[in-house]
Amino acid sequence: MSNAEQNLNFERIVRPHFDRLYRLAWRLTGNKAEAEDLFQELLVKAYGLLDDLVAIEEPGSWLSRVMYNLFVDQHRRYTRQRMHLVDEGHLPGAGLADLAGDLDPVTDIERLENLMRLDAALGQLSEEHRLIVLLHDTEGYKLKEIQDITGVPVGTIKSRLHRARARLRDILSPDGTFS
Amino acid sequence: MHCKDLTEKLDDYMDGGLDQATAEAIASHAGTCETCRAVIERARELRGLLGDYPVPQAQAGFYDRALVRATHKGGRRQRNRWLLSGFGSAVAAGLAAWVIFGLLPDVPQTPDALASIPGVTIALEEERTINLVFASATALDGATLTLSLPDGIELAGFPGQREITWTTSLKAGRNLLPLTLVALTPTGGELIAHLQHNERNRTFRLRVDVS
Ligand SMILES: [Zn+2]
Repeated sequence: MSNAEQNLNFERIVRPHFDRLYRLAWRLTGNKAEAEDLFQELLVKAYGLLDDLVAIEEPGSWLSRVMYNLFVDQHRRYTRQRMHLVDEGHLPGAGLADLAGDLDPVTDIERLENLMRLDAALGQLSEEHRLIVLLHDTEGYKLKEIQDITGVPVGTIKSRLHRARARLRDILSPDGTFS
Repeated sequence: MHCKDLTEKLDDYMDGGLDQATAEAIASHAGTCETCRAVIERARELRGLLGDYPVPQAQAGFYDRALVRATHKGGRRQRNRWLLSGFGSAVAAGLAAWVIFGLLPDVPQTPDALASIPGVTIALEEERTINLVFASATALDGATLTLSLPDGIELAGFPGQREITWTTSLKAGRNLLPLTLVALTPTGGELIAHLQHNERNRTFRLRVDVS
């Protein structure tokens, strides 16, 4: 196979999964710069494994799993040292402000405030709790899919999900109400 | 159906994982029990919020560029410049924690928000990145930010400094200040960020616990 054919073949396999993988990268890292790095790193790795990739029946879940493992490795390897304010594009939920305008302004500010509170509440969860609640309740992954990606058994995922939701409800509404 | 049973089955109920009879028993109990009705309502609200929690789409052209870099012979990805890779031997302490401080002036602070100081827990002698987010309705040029650290907590790269002040500009929207903290003693305490812009001051508190 020529190089060009090989590249086309690669693209044909991976491109249909790009949006989902990009979202997964965001859910894992919580910011744009690292999400882009992780996405890029996944493609480099996957391209190197093209011979395996062509034979895989569900490349989407394989790619998700590889991304998760890269993420786990990366976080063992790197720590960050930054001392400056960066732009909002690096935030989870960045662009929240852009959502304003379409809706009635009061509702909108409420929504923004609620999302910011959710952001902050998610920040208080442990990383495995946060990831599982985001994958399941936000991204709509099934328990089995989360097991395939993370290697954590469904039973453990379920109990983490249970605890994560209970904790979020507590943080968001200590007195029993949201507002 | 008792309240306790309902609480135990709440997740399965929300996930639609119960048989019809049990689901109906829950619905009928909630019809008569105000407490449980509120519990279900909160669970629904949380689910709604989570389902609505956005991520931005990839920028136009990002996928194409990423593909080219991946398939280009000898192509090595470029780390984003602000991600330093020189800490190969350091122990990364997992994901950053996020703490959001709102500066939106027209939004009345709820009593809850005022009463609860956000908190993070860090491990002793391990670096942990805490992302402070300042959400500002307007751009603040030339603001002064002062950080005061509790005893026993240091900012990585600033050994021995209890207070650090610098000038910065905030954009309208959300501004991220990542701080890498290290706890040298198990005491913990309050980290205070003081933001001054012209005549206006805001003080933000973050409780830092050490595990
Ligand atoms: Zn009840």
